[in-house]
Amino acid sequence: MRGLGDLESAIMDRLWSYRRPASVRDVLEDLRRDREIAYTTVMTVMDKLHTKGLLRRRQVGRAYVYETVASKEAYTAELMRAALSSGGNQAATLVHFLERLTPEESQALEAALRVYPPGGHA
Amino acid sequence: MIAAAVLALYAVAAAIAAPRLLSRGAWAERAPRLAISLWLAACVSAVASAVFAALAAAIPASVVGHGLAAFFEACAALLSHGEVLASPAAYAALSGAAAIAARIAYCGAAVLVRARRERRRHAGMLTILGRHDGELGAVVLEHDEAAAYCLPGRKGRAVITTAALRALAPEQVAAVLAHERAHLRGRHHLVLAAAEAFCLAFPRLPLFTRAGAEVARLVELLADDVAARHHPRVHIAAALVRLATGRAPVFTLGAGGETALTRVRRMLHPAAPLRRGERLAGLAAVALLLAGPVAVAAVPGVSSLLAHHCHTLSIF
Repeated sequence: MRGLGDLESAIMDRLWSYRRPASVRDVLEDLRRDREIAYTTVMTVMDKLHTKGLLRRRQVGRAYVYETVASKEAYTAELMRAALSSGGNQAATLVHFLERLTPEESQALEAALRVYPPGGHA
Repeated sequence: MIAAAVLALYAVAAAIAAPRLLSRGAWAERAPRLAISLWLAACVSAVASAVFAALAAAIPASVVGHGLAAFFEACAALLSHGEVLASPAAYAALSGAAAIAARIAYCGAAVLVRARRERRRHAGMLTILGRHDGELGAVVLEHDEAAAYCLPGRKGRAVITTAALRALAPEQVAAVLAHERAHLRGRHHLVLAAAEAFCLAFPRLPLFTRAGAEVARLVELLADDVAARHHPRVHIAAALVRLATGRAPVFTLGAGGETALTRVRRMLHPAAPLRRGERLAGLAAVALLLAGPVAVAAVPGVSSLLAHHCHTLSIF
């Protein structure tokens, strides 16, 4: 089996694709289509994702059903915001290319670039 | 006492005037690595001379002259029952030195710990949200904002968004990722952490605020240069323009495109690297900044040592 992070990723991807709540059993059967995996492993990881705040759950009968708290896009946007807005803490993530040029500046630079044939001037 | 005064004056002068001296001319853009060393050396130099000034004021040269063992004995005696130099001024000076040293050590640790925690959290989410692309050697993040960045650490990762992949030609993507890998391999996050620690420890002093901003800018130039060793400069420039002209992010990031402009110009019209003489002068300046305060602090002690042990030979 691959690392725990990969399993977390696989489980989240499954739940995002369902767009409805699912039980550990549902996810397990889905995952078993392309890997050998134990019920308890999936249950542990889903419980961990719940603790992390990525999944919410409610009890139905004797088992829990889980669903994602927010969409993948929302999490990605949040991750990017956290990385890019780095409140002065650049030692955490090094982010570049985030400065925005004015239209005039970029036009001037595009013109400058056209002078250079691609592949040349190494 | 003279050494203490010289060091204190130097510390103040360095903290205020050094930034103007260091940012003179455009040489830094021709030799970013040397410029980073100079800025950090200036920071270390200013802090070290402040610490040494306090130490020199507290400990008479004659004490040092009796040899190092006697020196440490004197320190211990001073701390335990204040026999040797029980003046309140010496106490004040010593606690000043300790406070400065403790402050920078604490802030350095704080910056590293905080960055590490943030990186770990970020890495956890990145594993869930991104997908590793073996061919690119980078994590691809599904996102409609064109961006590329790197997550340093033991398992350093370069990250690029799908929007950036769409906006750039394959050779430009390769150039951008080479830039990111240059950051990772060069451990630039540690350089930034050092600059940040000085800023945090002694805020509002021109040297440290300026060093923080300059080092952040210079590591980008340095990574561009490293990437340009294996990728045509024009591709790096083109990638910079493409990424910098993308849709403006919803959250604003201050700063205009000044660094981006500098970087594009540098890639298109590379300036000649520093001449041998200029480079040597720069290295000598780094050495002087680092060794200067130690030397000045040591002069009274050494001359006293010589006077004590070699009665025929006396300098100063």
